[in-house]
Amino acid sequence: MAVSGRNPTFWTAGDQGVSLGRLYVIRAAALLGIWGLFPTVETLAHHTATDRGVHKALISGLWVMSIFALRYPLKMVPILLFEITWKLMWLFAFGLPEWRSGVGSPQLSGDLWSVGAFPIVMLIVIPWGYVWRRYVKQPGERWR
Amino acid sequence: MASGAASASSSERIDRNELSLARLYVMRAIYLLIGLGEGSQVAPELFVHEPTARGVIASILAGMCLLDLLGVRYPRQMLPLLLFEFAWKYIWFFAFGLPQWLSGQHPPTFAEDFFNIGFGVAIMPFVIPWVYVWRNYIIAPGDRWR
Repeated sequence: MAVSGRNPTFWTAGDQGVSLGRLYVIRAAALLGIWGLFPTVETLAHHTATDRGVHKALISGLWVMSIFALRYPLKMVPILLFEITWKLMWLFAFGLPEWRSGVGSPQLSGDLWSVGAFPIVMLIVIPWGYVWRRYVKQPGERWR
Repeated sequence: MASGAASASSSERIDRNELSLARLYVMRAIYLLIGLGEGSQVAPELFVHEPTARGVIASILAGMCLLDLLGVRYPRQMLPLLLFEFAWKYIWFFAFGLPQWLSGQHPPTFAEDFFNIGFGVAIMPFVIPWVYVWRNYIIAPGDRWR
């Protein structure tokens, strides 16, 4: 890592233009996910016989992805993009309209925190320069 | 393969990370199928729904469908989305779908969910390039820690 004579700092762009500090920020978000989503994962083993389960399964799938993100924060960037995308969609399609109208789902206030406030966190966590280089400017995969 | 390694030109060398063109097309087909097929079903729910709808499931699915479209351009890089798709569908199948099917006790949405999610359970194992996943997401060294 520290190949050149220069002493790279924690926040200097390193491999693939991403700093060590940024990798830790992503890993911290992954840890937050592992910790925060676990109560839902636990319910997989104890739920009512007629529980639809789609919500629990989706959240548990994200929990599994958080574990991968701890080891491979850069490869799992698509999951970070997915996180900010769906949470923004929720905020604008459900959260904000329901909050403004005063009529919302019973879980609205909790969701406003756990889902609606999260895009701000993701905005800070996502390495946008890397996203720009790898997911926008980079030529697409071959077609022939 | 190893015997001729020294004489083989670099262009003939098999890249361990290479995905066949056919595999890339299979992955693209699935990204497109999820992005447009499933997307066209879930996206309207974002705009037209009960005033008290929770909307988490619809938003998660719609977000996934939108990003899957990026997978058409970058099938390899967006692989985590296919892994997520695989993970949550298998989790649902083994934690909810299969037990409910066996017990005969299920929610009203069961038939629809079982068909939609079961379809993913059936095809995702054939879509995901497992050898590539094994090399790049399991045995590859993780990103640096210091």
